[in-house]
Amino acid sequence: MASRMAGDAMLELSELSKHFDGIRAVDGLSLEVERGEVFGLIGPNGSGKSTTVNLVCGVFPATSGRVLLEGKDLGGLPPHRRLNAGISRTFQNIRLFGELTVWQNLWIARRDAPGEEAGFMRNWFGSSARIREAIEETLVFAGLAGRANDLARNLAFGEQRRLELARAVSARPQLILLDEPAAGMNREEVEDLKQRILALKGSGITVLLVEHVMELVMGVTDRVAVLNFGKLIALGAPGEIQGNMAVREAYLGSPDAEAA
Amino acid sequence: MVDFIQTTIDGLSIGSAYSLIALGFTLVFGVMRRINLSYGPSIMLGAFAGTWIFVTLDAQPWLVAAVTVAGTVAVGVYVERVCFWAIRRDAAIASMVSSFVIWMQLEEVATILLPGRTYPFPELFRTGGVEIGPYFFRMEYVTTLTVAILVLVMLRLLLFKTRFGLALRAVSENPAAAAYMGIRPGRVIFRAFVLASLIGGIAGYLLLAADQQVTPYFGLWATFKGLIAMMLGGMGSIPGAVVGGLILGVIESQTQWYLGNAYKDLSSYLVLFMVLVLRPGGLLGQGIAEREAQAFRRI
Repeated sequence: MASRMAGDAMLELSELSKHFDGIRAVDGLSLEVERGEVFGLIGPNGSGKSTTVNLVCGVFPATSGRVLLEGKDLGGLPPHRRLNAGISRTFQNIRLFGELTVWQNLWIARRDAPGEEAGFMRNWFGSSARIREAIEETLVFAGLAGRANDLARNLAFGEQRRLELARAVSARPQLILLDEPAAGMNREEVEDLKQRILALKGSGITVLLVEHVMELVMGVTDRVAVLNFGKLIALGAPGEIQGNMAVREAYLGSPDAEAA
Repeated sequence: MVDFIQTTIDGLSIGSAYSLIALGFTLVFGVMRRINLSYGPSIMLGAFAGTWIFVTLDAQPWLVAAVTVAGTVAVGVYVERVCFWAIRRDAAIASMVSSFVIWMQLEEVATILLPGRTYPFPELFRTGGVEIGPYFFRMEYVTTLTVAILVLVMLRLLLFKTRFGLALRAVSENPAAAAYMGIRPGRVIFRAFVLASLIGGIAGYLLLAADQQVTPYFGLWATFKGLIAMMLGGMGSIPGAVVGGLILGVIESQTQWYLGNAYKDLSSYLVLFMVLVLRPGGLLGQGIAEREAQAFRRI
């Protein structure tokens, strides 16, 4: 890694570990997510994917190791400051503000662009035309253009999922963490999500995708890392990973299991 | 019938002030799931600051009102720093206990400031009233009801239209998700305290101006009325606080009229007891089971 220029990676995990009561949920994990790529993180249940996401978001401190965003150590920054640093996320279990409208969910998550930090009036009473425009755009991106004034809790499941994504985008992140966004989706919805993730990539946002649904992972990612027992067991292009014996073993127990 | 309606009108007027105090409790409970027992005593000390400039400097009523509200906010901020912010990582019960301790401290401060126990409190407008048909509207009650409605309308706008209000409601609904969306929980909680103190100071002034006097026991009284009204309506529910306060006011004035002063508090406890047995979450609060189920669905 010495040959690579510092700051090349959007996200770098360095010897990251998290132990819970002696269980090594994440065990010396090192990897780099490059700027602008869609990076998949897969692994069987309990392999440490969710713990990794939570470490990146600052839910709890790491036992050891570091999380760096654009070369800057995030240390013990609390979640709300990690958002300001440029990391936003969606939740495996939908966590919208149900009593707020769709529009308000996006407004409240919105992070001001440099030079856009309006003062008291905008912060309290309204938003500038530019911000309203940006929110409208995000609504269109998520296919929620007609639902701006509906309460989030009244949306259908699929719409709530899309609003989760839109809310994360509204924060104008550099890195977006998608925590099992396809859970509970049908084939058509997965295809739809795939297009939206590619659109995110197209707008220059780096995506870290944690997912069980292989169809999605193989369809959108540039590189995939496979975790098992908190350790990295494989890393490569989706096509390589699909054929990797160690990965099959991790999922199926042994190479013979597949034949059986 | 005329008596009944007249008593209901009086009850609604007092009740609107109870609603404001209940709102203060419910706003703070909403954002932190913690109860501030010092809320009533903070209002009391603010009112003592107001009456202090009245008795020592013979200040104008409007200035007394301003000092009462400003004093309540100052004490509210102090309580937030000591009982909530400083021990925010500890158990919720720690905040409740320390807010009880600070309550005692605030009463001491009040008696040091003005050792005479009972002090006059000036009303904003001359006493008197308006007669409409067989009904008589006491001037203090008209003022109370008008101001309370005004505060409610402004609060509604604040909570539903401003970014701060939305952040406050987001933290009430899901503090963890709010933090991931860049909302600083500590800042929202602090502002919720300032807002609650502002409302409490206004309610305190209205109630005391109607009574024309203030004692250190007003703190205890305000905490009781506010907590009962909040629990009647449902803890953490904003419409619940309004409804709970109005119901409490009407129950009190009806019992006072038909059964006598001695039964006033007894009847409100009885109604609270029945409501909590029949609807443990309060009249407009979500039932606890329902809230759990909803949380589970989101997971």
